[in-house]
Amino acid sequence: MTTERRTLTAAVGNDYRPTAVMPDVKVVKIGGQSILDRGRTALFPILDEIVEARKLGIQVVLLAGGGTRARHIYSIASELEVPTGVVATLGKYIPMQNARMLQMLLAKHGGIYILPDDFEKLPLYMQMGCIPIMSGMPPFGYWEKREEGSRIPPHRTDAGVFLSAEFLGSRRAIFIKDEDGLYTDDPKKNPSATHIPRITAKELVDRNLVDIVVERMVIEYLPRAQWCKELQIVNGLKPGAVLAALKGEDVGSIITA
Amino acid sequence: MSDARTLVTGDGRTHIPSTLMRESLQDRKVLSKTDSEKDLQIFPDVSMVSIGGQSIFDRGKDAILPLVDEIVQIKRDAAASGAHAKMVIGVGGGTRVRHTISIAVDLGLPVGGMAQLVGAMEELNAILLNTLLAPHGSMPMQRDHFWDLPLYFAEGITPIAISVPPYHFWEPPPDEGHLPMHGSDFGLFQMAEVLGMKQVIFVKDEDGLYDKDPKKHADAKRIPKITLAELLAKMPAENILDAELFRAWEHAKNLKRIVIVNGLERGQLTRALRGEDVGTVITKEAA
Repeated sequence: MTTERRTLTAAVGNDYRPTAVMPDVKVVKIGGQSILDRGRTALFPILDEIVEARKLGIQVVLLAGGGTRARHIYSIASELEVPTGVVATLGKYIPMQNARMLQMLLAKHGGIYILPDDFEKLPLYMQMGCIPIMSGMPPFGYWEKREEGSRIPPHRTDAGVFLSAEFLGSRRAIFIKDEDGLYTDDPKKNPSATHIPRITAKELVDRNLVDIVVERMVIEYLPRAQWCKELQIVNGLKPGAVLAALKGEDVGSIITA
Repeated sequence: MSDARTLVTGDGRTHIPSTLMRESLQDRKVLSKTDSEKDLQIFPDVSMVSIGGQSIFDRGKDAILPLVDEIVQIKRDAAASGAHAKMVIGVGGGTRVRHTISIAVDLGLPVGGMAQLVGAMEELNAILLNTLLAPHGSMPMQRDHFWDLPLYFAEGITPIAISVPPYHFWEPPPDEGHLPMHGSDFGLFQMAEVLGMKQVIFVKDEDGLYDKDPKKHADAKRIPKITLAELLAKMPAENILDAELFRAWEHAKNLKRIVIVNGLERGQLTRALRGEDVGTVITKEAA
């Protein structure tokens, strides 16, 4: 498509005026390792707040993360030296299981399991007051590219959440984890680590941390996004934090484009 | 070491023991443990053949029928020698893709929306090709039904693959401009890469890659053989393949060879499938 794209870019110039598809939808990730692997003690209060938000008329789409089962299959697949595209395909199954678990729990409140291509039905689900739930894993599968120095797919469920928010034209993607967001160091290992309420993607990249709170691809894409200009990381173990985030309040940490 | 099949609890979460248990998959040190020098090669004796949309299909009957005839001959010759031709064919979309994109840009559709739309245009060429090849043994292959390939080859059936990768609504924001980066060239490259295929042959309407566009410059010189590194160092301004393909190939471990041949010249595809150096041969490493 290259030659075609070049001539096209010349033909259409810079007069691109993007249209937001469903800008009022909140795209929300429920973490795999951080929330779902904790079971009901962590998950049920979060679902209560999501249901409450939905009753207030806030439109929510939930995307599920993977967690320890994903790590287990990634570990075995890596030993077998299978290509990244195969690892990414294996990685689709666990977030799908988690999404189905969430659907069973939220069914009585309008929880509905959707596939990646079902975005076209979201207007109906939203008007009906539903809570659409899907896997956070992007559908790239065998077409996932390899990254230098790793066999793990670089686009996982954080990327799926960000890319969904970007397609839908939502300004902020919300990630429910088990920490208040970003810290100067790993708070689980260093008690003197301090909380960072707001940071730009560039500042985050400049810190060149060995480990960061969201997938690197998301931080790379954020500055080029048309719509999704903010990532909010919120602590789902803290009562009220999820509801506050869904109401648009600046709780947790916010990474801006 | 504890039994690797016993679940681990105690920090509020339930874990499965593995080398990645409790680890952050954003941690570069953790990620490097998953890497190695090579990737498993699943179908190392299969060639991927990509037939250009704009360069072949948009030319209509005069370009399509002789090429189909050559493919039929390749299949017959292979069958006569006792082994069916092991190739997967993919097609580009051409002018209808350009038109779709131009309307979509004007409407301000998001990049993921454009990516979702274009695949349908390529599929039309796949249906046409299959209509012509079916009497000689061909079948459209479902998206990722790769595991049927041994069955196809055993029966002399040539699969016609879906060329546009399934990035769809999740097409990432491009690094420049506002058009999808992952087109059919990349899609077919990636299918060959993940399956560890022998080579990708791009069938276009030029004798390969030139130092400048031969349609515009009479003194353009064909590049017979080049390494990926050399090509990246002096990429011609008007490349005939997706830039994303080369970027992905840089980090890939399997694919060693991409050949660009002229589908308007009978015999070039046949020779490339035999492994001969024809058109332009791009290699991952110096030969």
